[in-house]
Amino acid sequence: MQEVLRSLNRFWPEVVLTVGLLVVVLVDTIRVRGRDVANWLLTMATLAAAFVLTVRLGTQSTGLFEGMLALDPMGIFFKLLLIGSSLLVVGAFRFEGSRELRGLGQGEFYALMLAVTFSNLLLAAANDLAMLYLALEMVSITSYVMVAYLKGDRLSNEASLKYILFGAVSTGAMLYGLSLLYGMTGSTSLPVIRQVLAAGLTDANRLTVYVVALFVFAGFGFKTASVPFHFWCPDVYQGAPTPVTAFLSVAPKAAGFAIMLRFFFGGMAVEGTGAWDLAGTIDWPHVLMLVSVLTMTVGNVAALTQTNMKRLLAYSSIAHAGYIMMGVVALSENGARGMMVYLLAYVFMNLGAFLVVTLVHNQDGTFDLRDYPGLSRRAPLLTVAMAIFLLSLMGIPPLVGFMGKLYVFAAIIEKGSSYWWFAVVGAVNAAIAAFYYARILKTMIIDAGNEEKPAFRLPLADSAWIVLLILGNVVPLFLWRYVETLTRASLSLYAGR
Amino acid sequence: MLTRRNAVNVLMGIELILNSANLNLVAFSRYGTGNLQGQLFAVFVVVIAAAEVAVALAIVLTLYRLRRTPNLDEADFLRG
Repeated sequence: MQEVLRSLNRFWPEVVLTVGLLVVVLVDTIRVRGRDVANWLLTMATLAAAFVLTVRLGTQSTGLFEGMLALDPMGIFFKLLLIGSSLLVVGAFRFEGSRELRGLGQGEFYALMLAVTFSNLLLAAANDLAMLYLALEMVSITSYVMVAYLKGDRLSNEASLKYILFGAVSTGAMLYGLSLLYGMTGSTSLPVIRQVLAAGLTDANRLTVYVVALFVFAGFGFKTASVPFHFWCPDVYQGAPTPVTAFLSVAPKAAGFAIMLRFFFGGMAVEGTGAWDLAGTIDWPHVLMLVSVLTMTVGNVAALTQTNMKRLLAYSSIAHAGYIMMGVVALSENGARGMMVYLLAYVFMNLGAFLVVTLVHNQDGTFDLRDYPGLSRRAPLLTVAMAIFLLSLMGIPPLVGFMGKLYVFAAIIEKGSSYWWFAVVGAVNAAIAAFYYARILKTMIIDAGNEEKPAFRLPLADSAWIVLLILGNVVPLFLWRYVETLTRASLSLYAGR
Repeated sequence: MLTRRNAVNVLMGIELILNSANLNLVAFSRYGTGNLQGQLFAVFVVVIAAAEVAVALAIVLTLYRLRRTPNLDEADFLRG
């Protein structure tokens, strides 16, 4: 009882999200005008309150609920990132004027958003295999429902079907790996597992660790859309409603990387040093390096020929998962820091790009790049915004996207000359990516066409959110000292039970 | 599971995967580790499996309503 009360006192963000979720569901059942606005305000207020409460947790490092969850600076950083991205999605992707979501229930959408945010927070803090699996499945199941949100739409239905079948198999494989890990180590708690692994393994167990790691990686790979578990990603991103796509490309991916860091750092690595010695005879850095290289290459090469914007951005997000994974390969403090900076930048640039795509669809009803010519004359603000988001995704110096790439590449290069080829592959990939991002800009700015289309009406609220997201890509640069201290302070993981 | 066309059969295959892991958990808990964490874990897995299948069946029902087929290989609009 004492423990539960003590934990609850540090569990306020999640409690607030749950209460907000219940209230939104209740309000949604009352048939009055204005309930959608009320629900929107409630959702925003709930998320903002959760954000503030998470900030107020400060830099504690302790276990919650008998060590099921960990509360530590790294977890708090990821929680802020996750709540912030939900806040941006609920705010910026508005129902009014949306061609896809018109006439659909808003309350349910917001309830689902709050539910998936709650599960994301649990995933970022999971310190126990049971909690890890539970949180991962909560995120997944809520995401399946969100993808299937356009009930009468064949693409949305097909996307959700592919998502759930692929997701169920990946997480099933992961669960099998977790059960073997439990059998080997006799505990489901990550810190205890690390202690047992550190105490040494017999040869038979080494093989088991190999199989376990492979299985467990299936779950992480699915959540972060890494090769070879990325097949769902383009189809789901194309079929899902765009706000959901934008959300899926950012938040669950960030949560997936958070738990990947926690699992490998907290459960599999030697404490403090971050050396990979515990996970049996597998050459971990090289396995993950291969995954990372394949992920970015497959994503970038497949994106080259896409004409559907959502599909293109889907492949681009696969490629970005590859870059972010460079931080896991380094498994050093700088690697983890690179991942945090990269994910922070990625939230703003990727949500921005998806918001522009949504707004163009609201006006013209198309996701096809071939309908984009002439946009620079019809919608100058959108074009400038898209240019900034895409340059940031490319990693062009004055924008936050560059800082993200800088940090992960630096973390890889400082690991020594045997890692340099990996950095070179990453750089070549960045160049390939620059090609298709630049092609979008060329289509929007240089290509002629669509002169006969009606003038582009951009509602004031949408312009405001666009400007906010542009600022998100620029302002952190002026506050870099603060970002630097924040990410440095967020490096510690709770290692106890 | 991989050879089935019908979505419901595939879902049954997925249940088998989860149950295999459950058997592992319970058996390890009883004969290997001497603690109850594994059995607790298994209870959670059963609940999650039920939730997952509920969502999956809802999606398959929608598929059937939209296309009059429960077969997965006929859902092929998204590709490329």
